[in-house]
Order: sequence, then C-alpha cells, then structure tokens
Amino acid sequence: MNVMGIIFANDAKMGALTDMRTLASLPYGGRYRQVDFALSNLAATGVCHVGLITRHNYQSLINHVGSGEEWGLELEEGGLEYITPYAASTVDNYRGKLESIYTALPILEKGDEDLVVMIDAAVLCNIDLKKVLQAHVQSGRDITVVAKDGIANGKKQLDLAVKLNDDGEIADLAVDYCAPKDYLAGMDIYVLSKSWLMAQVREHIAHNLYHMDRDLVLNLWQKGEATVNVYPFDGVALFNETVEEYFRNSLALIEKEVRHDLFVGNHPVYTKVRDRVPCYYGEESEIKNCIIADGCVLNGKAENCVIFRQVTIDKDAKVENSVIMNDTVIGEGAQLKYVILDKDVTVRPGTKLFGTATTPIIIKRGDTV
Amino acid sequence: MYFQKKRCIAMLLAGGQGSRLKVLTEKTAKPAVPFGGKYRIIDFPLSNCVNSGIDTVGILTQYQPLELNEYIGNGQPWGLNKTHSCAQVLPPYERHDKKSGWYKGTANAIYQNIDFIERFDPDYVVVLSGDHIYKMDYAAMVAYHEKNGASCTIAVRDVPLKEASRFGILNTNPDGSIYEFEEKPKKPKSTNASMGIYVFNWSVLREFLIADEEDQNSSNDFGKNIIPNLLNAGHKLMAYSFNGYWKDVGTIDSLWEANMELLGDNPEFNIRGDERNKIYARNNAQPSSYIDAHAKIYNSFIAEGCEVYGKVHHSVISLGCTIGEGAVVEDSVVMPGVVIEPGAIVRHAILGEDSRIGRNAVVGGAFDSKEKMQISVTAKGAVLAPNAVLQPGEMI
Repeated sequence: MNVMGIIFANDAKMGALTDMRTLASLPYGGRYRQVDFALSNLAATGVCHVGLITRHNYQSLINHVGSGEEWGLELEEGGLEYITPYAASTVDNYRGKLESIYTALPILEKGDEDLVVMIDAAVLCNIDLKKVLQAHVQSGRDITVVAKDGIANGKKQLDLAVKLNDDGEIADLAVDYCAPKDYLAGMDIYVLSKSWLMAQVREHIAHNLYHMDRDLVLNLWQKGEATVNVYPFDGVALFNETVEEYFRNSLALIEKEVRHDLFVGNHPVYTKVRDRVPCYYGEESEIKNCIIADGCVLNGKAENCVIFRQVTIDKDAKVENSVIMNDTVIGEGAQLKYVILDKDVTVRPGTKLFGTATTPIIIKRGDTV
Repeated sequence: MYFQKKRCIAMLLAGGQGSRLKVLTEKTAKPAVPFGGKYRIIDFPLSNCVNSGIDTVGILTQYQPLELNEYIGNGQPWGLNKTHSCAQVLPPYERHDKKSGWYKGTANAIYQNIDFIERFDPDYVVVLSGDHIYKMDYAAMVAYHEKNGASCTIAVRDVPLKEASRFGILNTNPDGSIYEFEEKPKKPKSTNASMGIYVFNWSVLREFLIADEEDQNSSNDFGKNIIPNLLNAGHKLMAYSFNGYWKDVGTIDSLWEANMELLGDNPEFNIRGDERNKIYARNNAQPSSYIDAHAKIYNSFIAEGCEVYGKVHHSVISLGCTIGEGAVVEDSVVMPGVVIEPGAIVRHAILGEDSRIGRNAVVGGAFDSKEKMQISVTAKGAVLAPNAVLQPGEMI
C-alpha cells in the first residue's frame, strides 16, 4: 500500500502555552512535542511522504521537526513538506481542513500514493496505522474514521461524534456535539483514497465548503453520497485541546498503563535529539511518582510531576502536581503546587505558587517569578 | 569523486580487544562499551573531534566490530554525515601486494589506510585512542603543534612519580620539546605520561609509516617504534600538557571509577550542563524515566527510559533499566537494558547490558575503605537466578 500522510498542526486555545506555538509544538511528556506522536505513528507505518499543515505561529514547529530526520523523512523524493497558508494566493488563510488541503493539492498530485492518512496533533496515541489501512481497504468504503470510546461524557464537545449500532454500523453522526457516553469520539484520524479526496476537495471548495467533519463526512454521509467506515481504537488516546485536558493528560503518564501504552505500545516515539546528560539526583533529593527527562539536576523534592529536560530543582524546593518544562530553574525553598511552568522560567528562591487541578497556574516562557 | 582538502583529520584507533575488561568485551569492542548512563566510550573522542572542528574521522576497527560499526553507522549522531564530513569505519582488508591482513599494531593500522588519508590531502593527522574518557580541544593542540613547528606533538599529563613506571614517559627540555621517550621506565626521570594522543605532520608520518613497514623487526607501534624513530632522526617533537580530566578505562576498576567520578555535587569529571561541548551519542528513542512513589535515589545518574521502584545510591543507571520494588543498588554501574528484580541487592558491581538480576539475588558486597575492592561483573545478557549470590569480584 502506498500511503501519504497529512498532519494538521492546529492552532490551540491554551492561552499562554500556545500564544507562541502551534498545538503540534506544545511540549508533552518530558521530552516530546505533541506532533511527535503523529509523526511516529506515520513513520512506523512506513509512510515516507508527509505534508505538515500549519497556519499560525509555526516557527517553533519548524524548529522542532526540521527536515524530519528523526522520523526518517529527510528524503529527496517525498519526505516531509510544510504546507503553510502562503502556498496558494487564492486562499487567504485556512478556515478548515478542506481549504488547507486545497492549497496542498499540487503536493498531493505529484506523489504516486493511493491512500491518504489524515492525522491531527491534538490527539496523542500510539496506533498501528497498518491495521487501520487494512480495515479501510477491506471495508471498501470511501472514508474510514478512527474513533475512541470513553471520551464522550456529555460535557466535552467532540469535533465528530459517532454512535454505532450492534452491528458496528453507524447509527448517528454528529459534529461539534457534547455527545453522551454511548458515542465514540472521532480521533481526527481519517483514511481515504487520494483521488477521491482530491475530487471532493475541489468540489467542496468550489461551493465554498471547507469543514472536513461537517461538510465532507457528515453531509455526504447524510445524503448517502459517501460511505463511512468506523475503526474503533482500543488503546490510550489523549485529547489535549484545553489547558485542563493537557494538565490532566500530562500527569496521567504517572499511571503505568497510560505510559506503557503510549510509549511502548506499538512502536517507539521519536523526537528531536538534544544530547543532554542523564538526570542527576543529588544526595538530598526526594523524587516520588514523577516522570523525569534527561539533563535535570535535582536536589529538592518533587511529587506527581512531569519534569522536562535540563530542569534544575534546588535544595529544599518542593514541587507537587506540576508540569515543569525544559531549562526551567526552581530556586531554593520554593514551593509549587498545580503549576505549569513553560520553558526557561526562573522561580526565585522561596517563591510560593499554588494553583488547582482544574486551573493550574501557568507561567509564561522565559518569565521570572 | 571530489574530496575537499582538509587541514586536519583524525584517525581513531578502535580495534583493540580490551581483554582486561574481561566479560564486558567478550562480544563487544572496548570503544563500544557503555559509559556514563547513555554514552559509549567512543562518544568521547568522537565528540571531542566534532567540538574541535575536526569533521573527518577514520575509525580503525578490528576486534568484534559488529556492535561498534552499527553504533557509528553513518556518523549522524555526531553530525559527521554531511557533504564534506565523515565517520569512516576502516576495517582490515585484503590487498594485491600481501601488505594487508589484520592490523599488526597501531602504526600498521594507519599504514594500511594511507589511501584513505591521502584523499583529504591533510596537513595534520591527529591519532587518537578509542578507550579514553576525557574532554579535550584538539584544535588548541594542533595550534600549539603548528606554532612550535613540530613534526609531532604528544599530549602529556602529569602523573604521580610512583605511578610513572606504568606509563610511557616523555622527558622534555624546558621549552617543552621532547628529547627522550621511555616506555614504562623502572626509574622514571619525569612525570610526563603520554596520553596516546598525537598530532603529526602528515608528510612526516607518511614517510615514517612506510619505513616502519619495511622494518621486519618492528612491532609497528606508535609508542615503541614511530616515536623513537622520529626522535632518532632528529625531528622536533613537542609535549603538550593537558591538565583536565582524563582516564584510561581499560580495566574493570578504572571503568567503574570513571563512572563514579561523574557523581557528586562537584564531580571529578563534570559533564553536566556544558552546552557548548556536549558529548553526542546515538539516540535510542527512550521515553522519560518514571520514578515511583517508593523509590529513593541519592547521588546518582539515571538515564532515560528507566523505571525505578527501589533504592539507588551512588550509582550510574543507564538507558532503559528497571529497578524493582525493594531492590537496592549501591556503588554500581548498571548498563543499558538491565532488569533488577524486586528485592535484589547490588553492591560494587558493573552489570553488563541487558543482564537480569533475579528476585532477592545478591551481587557483590560492601567494603571498608582499607580493603582491596573487588567489583562483581555480569556479562551482556547474563542472568543471575532468583536468590542466587554473586560474590565480590565474581563474574558471570
């Protein structure tokens, strides 16, 4: 099977965390960026032509992903291609996925792939896409949607909600819906034939329709113009769309099942190499229930935390239930609870910061508190 | 093919067996032995080259090269895979004129690769060993060599007089020029020990390598043959003194010590936080480590991909290790992929890659400072059964 990957880098509404970066380049899990999971899922499937679609703030994304070398995408043919809003003069900025693919049509045209996998940086998972591709081909349908149970709770608004009947056929499809628990949540992973996708994109853009879930999936399914296959995913899927979700899903890595499914699962997760030294634990360090990346120097206390690369925690400092991003320094005697410290933050000795589980305190990149 | 002329290239001797590392080098060349949690010994000279602006490195391999070759690959981790840079593995090979075969000695290894060196038409060739742990700016040494107009410059370090008879000793004039070389002298005249790091003018070295090859009685060794021959021929040889950390990790004890010297608040060898002169290593795509609520870790290095449930004190834990609940690891070097099952005790040991210590097993023992320390060692992939005991100094 010859497959092209398309990754949507996404904007995000996470305040200070995504002011200066895409959701795809948001740091996660001690040493990763969100996009690493999508890239690694594609790389493990042997996909060697990937379009990375982004519209805002993509400096940090390009800086991280670079030529795609870490994912085996630094190729002369195919490889990694950035698709930015300025690739087409007829579209000012992307209003939806279909519009962004429209600007990428020349890139889709030139490859000889049969199928396209569309995947999103907002949902983290370690998925064997080969199985999804096989299921798609076997189903003979136009679109395969990957969906996950246990996400819908009546409160979270889902981009795409799917209800299956007992035969595994679609009983209901809904877009931007706070679906009840018996719905599956679309994971923003789709498989479609490339030629069909290209034809649909041209048709939709001609009619000023640009929304993937609403216009292409839901509308065509309702009108009986497209057949939709649902692939239920049984692994861990973490939806990081709000600060609360991001915070909760970061600390979820402390649970063995989540950690092992996400990192050991089907394949390794690759990221940009930083060549930092191993983490050093000082004589008086007290580290409990933490995820710790390389390069840290830990002399203080930490409990229930995710600590990124090259973080310093000085003695008598105590950090609990927090996410501490790389190169941050926490001074002597500081006390932190429920905080997210972005990169390069300096916490002065003795500082006290206490947030809550649902509204953690966020300190912006480079700030001193 | 076009080769860019290079002012300076490096030749890294990585073919030695390292028999004094016993079971650790049964299936691995010494330069590929893991070190410091996430490195292999060869990462240090290779990274030094890159950090010194040397972008062309020939790596001479011979003994058990599979793992070493795999590790070096195309040189990408060190940035040596660019258009005009390379990390070229140079194994022994067959030639038409019978002057080929296994590398007979350090000088013969370079002799057999004269063609490789000639491609780059270098002014200087730096000859390095693949079994030393140190950070050094070779560019400064080459500049010193050039400034003094020497044919050869040898890095030296000051060693205690009573230990000097274990080393190759260079006796120098007040200006730093060498007048005599003594291999392991019984009565050393000075304390300048050779570090096995040489800078040569390529034209001079080339001539002496060819002459050395013609000499049937030569053991084709830099220390025993090339250096004395250069001195006898009246060439100018300079000693370049280096005061930074340097360790030959050729024995079980010195390998263990060098790992321990990375630890502490003010370590003997500090590799933490030096952003400009990083040591580069091939990456294994390991996730961050998990430290459990019952874990206790003091004065230790823990690399990525570990799961720590037990107690770790004064130890180096490498990539992807698991330390089970209630297990205790003290004063030990734990190489990548080791599993220490719950309740096991490991003291004063080096656990080889992917070895497994069974539940409640005991490795090594504690020592008073006066006692002669004996390190217990497990080979790559070795398994110590549950409840079994590996005595101090024992190896499996």
